Amino acid sequence: MQGFIYPNEFELHWSLLIVLYPYLTGLVAGAFILASLERVFNVKEVQPTYRLALLTALAFLIVAPLPLQAHLGHPERSYEIFLTPNSRSAMAMFGFVYAWYLAVVLLLEVWFDYRRDLVGWYQSAKGPKRWFYYALTLGATDLSEKSLKFDDSAGRWITVLGIPSAFLLHGYVGFIFGSVKANPWWSSVLMPVVFLLSAIVSGIALVLVLYMVTTMARGKPVNMPCLDRLAQFLFYAIVIDLSLEILDFIHRLYESEESIEILSQLIEGRLFLSLIVLQLLLGTLVPFVVLGLTTHSFRPKPLIQVPEELRRMLFLLSAILVQIGIFSMRFNVVIGGQLFSKSLRGLTVYKVEFLGIEGLASTIFLLLLPLFILWLLVKILPPWGEEPWNQKPSEVAAIQG
Amino acid sequence: MVQQVPRLAIVFTIAVAILLGARQLLIPPTFGEDGHYRAAAVDSIAAHPIKYAGRQACELCHAEQAEVRLAGNHRGVGCETCHGPAAPHVQGPLDVKPVIPDTREFCVTCHSYNASRPTGFPQIEPARHNFPRPCKDCHDPHAPVPPVTPGECSACHAQIARQKSLSHHAELSCAVCHEAPDTHKDAPRSVRPTKPQTRALCGTCHAAGIEEGPPQIDLESHGVPYMCWDCHYPHFPETR
Ligand code: HEC
Ligand code: HEC
Ligand code: HEC
Ligand code: HEC
Ligand code: HEC
Ligand code: HEC
Ligand code: HEC
Ligand code: HEC
Repeated sequence: MQGFIYPNEFELHWSLLIVLYPYLTGLVAGAFILASLERVFNVKEVQPTYRLALLTALAFLIVAPLPLQAHLGHPERSYEIFLTPNSRSAMAMFGFVYAWYLAVVLLLEVWFDYRRDLVGWYQSAKGPKRWFYYALTLGATDLSEKSLKFDDSAGRWITVLGIPSAFLLHGYVGFIFGSVKANPWWSSVLMPVVFLLSAIVSGIALVLVLYMVTTMARGKPVNMPCLDRLAQFLFYAIVIDLSLEILDFIHRLYESEESIEILSQLIEGRLFLSLIVLQLLLGTLVPFVVLGLTTHSFRPKPLIQVPEELRRMLFLLSAILVQIGIFSMRFNVVIGGQLFSKSLRGLTVYKVEFLGIEGLASTIFLLLLPLFILWLLVKILPPWGEEPWNQKPSEVAAIQG
Repeated sequence: MVQQVPRLAIVFTIAVAILLGARQLLIPPTFGEDGHYRAAAVDSIAAHPIKYAGRQACELCHAEQAEVRLAGNHRGVGCETCHGPAAPHVQGPLDVKPVIPDTREFCVTCHSYNASRPTGFPQIEPARHNFPRPCKDCHDPHAPVPPVTPGECSACHAQIARQKSLSHHAELSCAVCHEAPDTHKDAPRSVRPTKPQTRALCGTCHAAGIEEGPPQIDLESHGVPYMCWDCHYPHFPETR
């Protein structure tokens, strides 16, 4: 504690779990937007990551509300917000955004995309597995030309619908913070946009990491054009994200409201490590420089020609740094906003607890849980497109690079 | 029509039907009558057993304490604020006894020094204020007054005295720094006590080289050329 704070500001009410929540939803929105790039804008190179991105979004979406449930402490009551919708509460309405996104966008898109495979697995499997896959097809086993075509166009339309939904999903999270008008660290109209852009950054980086790890784990060669393209997107997203955050920063500096003094104390003191070092230096500038130099962002040639092996490692490193940076950004927003007193005269401290429902242990658990769910999903719905019915000669070439 | 549409339609219809059915079953009947909550909740809360009796109830039997309290400075503090919820005691005065909060810790919840309390609220530094004797030895909890009439300097300079009593200088008497002729008390405006004029005065206790005691500074360099009280309020010296 330092300076003067009000008695009720001594303890932070929103802790690590609330940091985790925007981080997870951000990954969902980001992974989905990457998937839609392939689908709607027809970016052929990133096709190998399309299904992986969808499943990633699904796995993280399933876990995203859990931190909130754990934080609020009465998970058994959560269904009530659906029964008695309160249209005047943004937080309550978010339940519906979530349900819409899960049921109408993600599940439907996965279903349409996988239906051909589901039928294939159903036909080739035996025993309970056969019935499991049959249940997943919902009995729609028709594989006629017309039917498959419908799958394709339905999937495309859902993606088109999904992009604004993904924006809504994560824009909402920024909105919740941005609309707290009593808190000068949060209150900003740029908040939803900044959250969204950082979501895209983190989503792309996550899919890049997952793609490399899974491919290597399966002993397959990494598809280099795909990776280059991913890294390039990541670079563009970082550029926009960084400029927005700088805009926000300059705007605050120029406005110089009465809160500016305590906020600069906050940045120079309490948040120095997580904001300046982790978020800005390691999480943004290092990947920015590395990717800027080594990707094809400046066509036709990258600024520095790097051998493939090294490039892969650099991309992987940047993507991991980006994850650390984005997590720090969520931390800085959520925790930072509660570290200074409303009197603007003092700072409190945040001590992370280890055990306990809001502690580090449960945070780590909730971070690993989506990876486990993803592993399950990949077992049930292999996204690699290696089934016999998927083997068109041209695609084999594409997959194996 | 392709096969998918009717199948999905069935699934979604079932989902919506479940939601609507759940609404029918689970929403309490009185929900929404008076607002976004269950109106019957008011009744179920009203049905809770009453724990507080209220000050008026106590006054019927404890007229003495009630009178004393009304005359003193705790007139704004309800009986059950200190004695705890006492409705059962009112029902059966001999069976249930309210708590008697006669520890130092209890009074200190309201009276320990805290910068966020309103200015002028009577506060003490618990570690210094007559530790460890119980407060009730000197103050009547129902009508607390300082047990001695403020005399000497604090009679007129109460605010300074009170502030000093909370500060690092609590132990210093006024006379250490002020020479006050007795006549100052009769004609305070015409006979003025002295006020410190030199840094050396503070130096008698704070200059480096004095063994033990108060925190030390180098008189030659610290805060030169200003007077010490340009930076430290002498009756409540702080270093931040
Ligand atoms: C119906 C009369 C009655 C009412 C009303 C009543 N009291 Fe009492 N109270 C008594 C009696 C009688 C005793 C004495 C018991 C004894 O000395 O053993 C007593 C004792 C006490 C004591 C001393 C307990 C002790 O251990 O010595 C306290 C404190 C007290 N009452 C507080 C209250 C408060 C606070 C209220 C109001 C909520 C209240 N009383 C209302 C009759 C009453
Ligand atoms: C600031 C806290 C405080 C408030 C307010 C207060 N009391 Fe007390 N009360 C005490 C304490 C402390 C004692 C114990 C005194 C002692 O042991 O000498 C006490 C003792 C008593 C006793 C026991 C007999 C005695 O006088 O020692 C009674 C009866 C009582 N209080 C009634 C009341 C009633 C009635 C009211 C409201 C009109 C009230 N008190 C308000 C703190 C309080
Ligand atoms: C619920 C809070 C509360 C508790 C508990 C409490 N007090 Fe007080 N006290 C007050 C208030 C309010 C005043 C009146 C302040 C004012 O006059 O502005 C006061 C005033 C006083 C004064 C100053 C009287 C004067 O004439 O200047 C003394 C001494 C005092 N209390 C002692 C005690 C003691 C001893 C206890 C423990 C038995 C106690 N207080 C418990 C709230 C409390
Ligand atoms: C040895 C007797 C004694 C004890 C025990 C004692 N006090 Fe005092 N208290 C005094 C005297 C004498 C004064 C007035 C002179 C002064 O400020 O030192 C006073 C002043 C106060 C004042 C300030 C009143 C004002 O108008 O500024 C408060 C508040 C107070 N006491 C509360 C308490 C509390 C709470 C306790 C228990 C933790 C306590 N006292 C214990 C003797 C005592
Ligand atoms: C009868 C009330 C009374 C008493 C008792 C009293 N003073 Fe004063 N004192 C005053 C008044 C009135 C002033 C003038 C305040 C002003 O003019 O702003 C004053 C002024 C002062 C000043 C400031 C002189 C200046 O030139 O600014 C000091 C120092 C002082 N008193 C110290 C003391 C000391 C030490 C004691 C105890 C020995 C004491 N007083 C006792 C009423 C009193
Ligand atoms: C550590 C030394 C010290 C002690 C002890 C001390 N004073 Fe002072 N006092 C000063 C100094 C130094 C000033 C002059 C401040 C200035 O000129 O700005 C002062 C100024 C004053 C004044 C003038 C008004 C003001 O606030 O500037 C009054 C009145 C006063 N003191 C009263 C008292 C009383 C009453 C006590 C005892 C309760 C006391 N002082 C104890 C050092 C002390
Ligand atoms: C009679 C000796 C004495 C005189 C004269 C004296 N002080 Fe002190 N001072 C002390 C003592 C004793 C302490 C430490 C009390 C404690 O440790 O709680 C102290 C503490 C301090 C502190 C430290 C507060 C902290 O946060 O650690 C400052 C600042 C201070 N005095 C300033 C002054 C000034 C300015 C003067 C001159 C107006 C002065 N003192 C005159 C005895 C004195
Ligand atoms: C220009 C402003 C200024 C002046 C004049 C000044 N001080 Fe300080 N003093 C400070 C500051 C700021 C601190 C706290 C930072 C530090 O320790 O240097 C401090 C600290 C102290 C401390 C605490 C040292 C410790 O180790 O805890 C004492 C005692 C002290 N001053 C006494 C005095 C005395 C006696 C005088 C007059 C001779 C004086 N000061 C003049 C600003 C000043």
